[in-house]
Amino acid sequence: MLDTTDVAASARQRARLRPPATATLVRAGVIVILLAFALFAIPQLLSLYYVDAMTEVAIYAVVSLGLGVLVGRVGLVSLGQIAVLAIGAWVAARLLFATSQPFPLVLLEAGLITMAVGTVIGLPALRLRGLYLALITLMLAGAFAIVLTTTNFPNGGHGFLGYNGALINIPPIRRPSIAISDPAYYRYAVVVAILMFLLVFAHIRTRPGRAWAAIRQSEPAALAAGINTTRYKLWAFALASFVTGVAGGVYAGAAHYLYSIDFPAQNSIILLAVVLMGGAYSLWGAVVAGLLSQLLPALLNNWGVSNDWLTILFGIGVVQVLTTAPRGLADQVPKDLSKLGRLLLRLVRRPTRAEAEAP
Amino acid sequence: MPSWQDFQPFLVTGLALGGVYALSGVGLVVLYQATGVVYLAFGAVGAMGALIAWSMISAGIANWLCWLVCLVFSGVVTLAYGMIFGPLLAKRDPLVKAAATLGLLLVLFGVMDLLWTTSGGESRAITLPTDNGGFSIGQIQVTWTQVIGLGVGVVIAVATAAFLRYTKLGTAMRAMANDREITATLGVPVRRVEAAAWLGCGLLAGIAGLLLADMVALDATTLTFLVISSLAAALIARLRSIALTFAAAIVVGVVQNMLVPISSVSNYTDMTPFVLAAIALLVLSRRQVLSRSREET
Repeated sequence: MLDTTDVAASARQRARLRPPATATLVRAGVIVILLAFALFAIPQLLSLYYVDAMTEVAIYAVVSLGLGVLVGRVGLVSLGQIAVLAIGAWVAARLLFATSQPFPLVLLEAGLITMAVGTVIGLPALRLRGLYLALITLMLAGAFAIVLTTTNFPNGGHGFLGYNGALINIPPIRRPSIAISDPAYYRYAVVVAILMFLLVFAHIRTRPGRAWAAIRQSEPAALAAGINTTRYKLWAFALASFVTGVAGGVYAGAAHYLYSIDFPAQNSIILLAVVLMGGAYSLWGAVVAGLLSQLLPALLNNWGVSNDWLTILFGIGVVQVLTTAPRGLADQVPKDLSKLGRLLLRLVRRPTRAEAEAP
Repeated sequence: MPSWQDFQPFLVTGLALGGVYALSGVGLVVLYQATGVVYLAFGAVGAMGALIAWSMISAGIANWLCWLVCLVFSGVVTLAYGMIFGPLLAKRDPLVKAAATLGLLLVLFGVMDLLWTTSGGESRAITLPTDNGGFSIGQIQVTWTQVIGLGVGVVIAVATAAFLRYTKLGTAMRAMANDREITATLGVPVRRVEAAAWLGCGLLAGIAGLLLADMVALDATTLTFLVISSLAAALIARLRSIALTFAAAIVVGVVQNMLVPISSVSNYTDMTPFVLAAIALLVLSRRQVLSRSREET
């Protein structure tokens, strides 16, 4: 979406041709340490309030991952991902109330059903490109938000909708038996998030990832190279819907009670903003987007600062990213840090050189 | 099934709302044609103008001055955005330009929620003096505001079409819609033409904001996202034809309101613009050719 030269992808391809260097080992080490920290240290170190916030981060990192696949890999912009998340949460809640299936199975089913819905919606939408696709997803999300306000989320009632209008004695949506407490559920959410990241990573590193890169650079060229563009675009839609649907299922368990006001259409816009800010081209960008959209509000709430400042910040951020730094924070911050490091190094070195030249 | 009698008042509100959708849609189409920007912050700018006007009216300032401030605010903010970010993003594709206006939308939305908070359950309203007067056709009451809504829509659509057809500035805008580079080569002051389009679009946003604040609700979220309904009309016209935008806006407004008395769908009437636009886009896109993707991607 943002530019057609894919420096990161070609660099990665070059890296793959080389034998595993120490840089790869270091990167793997950093990831393992970060994961160990996320899984074991965070539930111990943080208060319950922040553990809940980090659960949301894990969920929204996966949602951002789904949008990142569409925006960063294929160049399709969806402004309706929160509606997809709501579909996943709805399906999961309905299944959790209706059946006693194990939780992971429900997550898988929620992902698959959301994937089917997303693909059915995506099929006609794929005729559209660029701007028109973004606008039609915005329209569909707006329409879906209105349907959701009327049908509501399942709350243990009967019938297809599973909503009985009760205001009291609503049973909470159950969690898996191994993750009843909030810290345990946090770990559960992180593990699910890791699995989703691995799934997307596997896609990017193999045939579909290469096809997506070709489509993003030039669709006619990809077509000429014999790539079935429709199939791979639909594949991207399906993958994004699947991971978002699974995230919706995790959200249902985390929240216990679901309300349609938790999924306003404007959140899709904020989601696009944070994904662009985090960096749609890198998987780290999805983690950054999750932190931006969920941890920052929790922090501000705790400090008594209005969340509206954050909305303003995201607005400025998205304009800044689009005008000057199309690769987002995940790419920009390390670059800026190394630039800063070099600058500091030069400042430290300069006096010594001056001394050397003095006599 | 309700009788025709039940539908009549909704026909009037529908026409009025359609008129406002039409003037918003026309503003969006003209700006898109001149600059290639789909201005998604249209509703947010109008909403903030209306809220400023509301605050001034509450402070006891003369009404006409408040309305003027609303228009000036919308015009100036839009013009400023266009002048700063228009050139920066001029070479990028329409999707990026549209996404950047989402940034302006978020900023304005945050500011509105901060300054005119809704958490206390406060409700605000702008009542135009034209609400009280009116006349009746048969048994239907028509307020002057509703007449203005439709009237402004008609006037703006006709005036804009004539402006684009007959004036020098309008011709320049049409030329830029065809090819920005060649137009610039021919000696048209591209920046100035763009500025005119931004300002015009901003003023229309202000008018739409005031009218919608009276006819629908003075609420940041509602007004901000009503732009999507106006956009639906513009999209049905594929962001090109003024006449088609006007017709689509009236249809959207009337259908949306005429469905209200039918109880089985009355909860879903707000979906009308989205559904109509989605259907129109999908039908229209059947004839799309891959190689002609210059203006689509």
